[in-house]
Amino acid sequence: MMASFEELSAVQIAAGVASGEFTATQVAQASLDAIADREQEVQAFLQVSEDLALQAAARTDELRAKGAKLGPLAGVPIAFKDNMHLVGTRTTCASRMLEDYESVFTATCVQRMLDAGATPMGKANMDEFAFGSSTETSAFHRTNNPWDTERVPGGSSGGSAAAVAAGEVALSLGSDTGGSIRQPAGFCGVVGMKPTYGAVSRYGVVAFGSSLDQVGPFGRSVADVALAMNALVAGGRDPLDSTSQEVAPNFLDGLEDSVEGMRVGIMPALMEHEALTPEMREGLVSARDALEAEGAQIVEVELPNMDSVIAAYYVIGPSEAFSNLARFDGVRYGYQEPGCATLAEQTALSRAHGFGSEAKRRQMLGAYLLASGVYDKYYYPAQQVRTLITQDYRNAFERCDAIMLPSSPTSAWRFGEVSDPTQMYASDLFTISSNIAGNGGVSVPIGLGSQSGLPIAAQLQGPAFEDRKLLRVARALERGIEAAGLFSPGTVAPDYAHRGGELA
Amino acid sequence: MALTQDDVRGIADYARIALTEEELEEMCAYMNEAIEMLQPIREYDLTGVEPTFHPIGDLSNVMAGDEANANGRSLDLDVALFNAAAKQDRTFRVPSILGDEGGDR
Repeated sequence: MMASFEELSAVQIAAGVASGEFTATQVAQASLDAIADREQEVQAFLQVSEDLALQAAARTDELRAKGAKLGPLAGVPIAFKDNMHLVGTRTTCASRMLEDYESVFTATCVQRMLDAGATPMGKANMDEFAFGSSTETSAFHRTNNPWDTERVPGGSSGGSAAAVAAGEVALSLGSDTGGSIRQPAGFCGVVGMKPTYGAVSRYGVVAFGSSLDQVGPFGRSVADVALAMNALVAGGRDPLDSTSQEVAPNFLDGLEDSVEGMRVGIMPALMEHEALTPEMREGLVSARDALEAEGAQIVEVELPNMDSVIAAYYVIGPSEAFSNLARFDGVRYGYQEPGCATLAEQTALSRAHGFGSEAKRRQMLGAYLLASGVYDKYYYPAQQVRTLITQDYRNAFERCDAIMLPSSPTSAWRFGEVSDPTQMYASDLFTISSNIAGNGGVSVPIGLGSQSGLPIAAQLQGPAFEDRKLLRVARALERGIEAAGLFSPGTVAPDYAHRGGELA
Repeated sequence: MALTQDDVRGIADYARIALTEEELEEMCAYMNEAIEMLQPIREYDLTGVEPTFHPIGDLSNVMAGDEANANGRSLDLDVALFNAAAKQDRTFRVPSILGDEGGDR
């Protein structure tokens, strides 16, 4: 069979490898060819792990030759955000601080994808230490949005989103502290999920905000994201992450079921929010109509404390980041300033020269907020506001099964267009509330903007640990949007469809 | 009250990030802008509201047994030292932390 590799979903690749239609090695080679063909323009990767990929694929093919049962992701090429440890690769967090850092162990989320048979293609670009919404703070290079290479892919998991959108890999993993999976998924026209906090182990993922961080998958369809979710939770609770919870790997069960009778909440004030571009407002109306056409009932809900989420988040996030990044002192690993007379000087200069501007800004803000006398004014009240936001969600979910929001106020912007840090922070408006409360969210493409022609997306959020039901609603939205002729699952950015990476 | 450059210099010292004079100026402007953005947090009546420090309650720290390699995850010596920029024999090497010249704060 001759097929262009990027036309195949992860579900189809795993099925094709299991049935012998093609080998894992052929798929890995097609992915490597696609990367070689597109990477100069997209620059999604910081490191391509060709040797690891071909070894893993060969192992999958050997298993099949022996008649062994293959994993649910057999032969599926996957990219990992470069804050995830994988032995045999560097883990740089896109920072000079960790430019030469070799992974000394493998993150649980990465290991579980490998255990499911996935083929590791490499490490994806990101904002430095995940501080950003555009991947422009990477110390090494920018990543270009495959839909328009003069525009950002979003962030912080911009490389992970771009690699999937450009058809270089079928799946990727990212991490989401304030929207870092959902926003780039929206910008790049792919599906991206932040599961409920605790659903996926964070062991081996470099920490940013420990009470906010969650790992999740990108794919070109809801079904592929559900397949990846199964692999992420299939090993059960991870004893190496104390927040890890037991979650059943049943995300594909009932995925296609009708949402007839289910209720989706919308907040009229948010649908008309002044920060939203006109095309985003139009898109959300189409998404609401698509869900209604699929049988969902639209109800109005409120999250009364939504106006305070930016403030609460930019207290909690930087405070936790300052605490987490204190470990980078240049002694055990990371950049070390040469020729210093004292440890204090070595630490301060290693951090000054190892970290980029945004990483310094977030840590300085966190250091200030945690200082004695300041803590009581910001940090403690922010955690009280978190209680209110969590209660808001609890009340809202008494009236509905999922809430629909934008995933970002705009479509992808041009490089340099948003240069003021606090202006960039404001773009997280619609995603951060679920990091604060911990419940899951998923971004689903809903078409191309009527003005920009770029992908636009809706975000669905569900109650904590009801991510399976959330994906079922996401699948209904995807189905309704396809039926309306607005966007099809499996779409690769047009410039990269049918271009290299043939599967012989 | 807005932070001054001297305040920011003090925070940078505490955070162990050696900022240049130029960076200090930029950082001061940024921090004042960011703190302004956080003000909604201070305008709430939060009387009687309990804080939520973590989305999952009822967690406690997990302590390993007080024995070598209690959890089987200890790194081999060469692996543990692999990413260190300065090492000597079995140890990470650091500048002196004692004495007038070497005194750490």
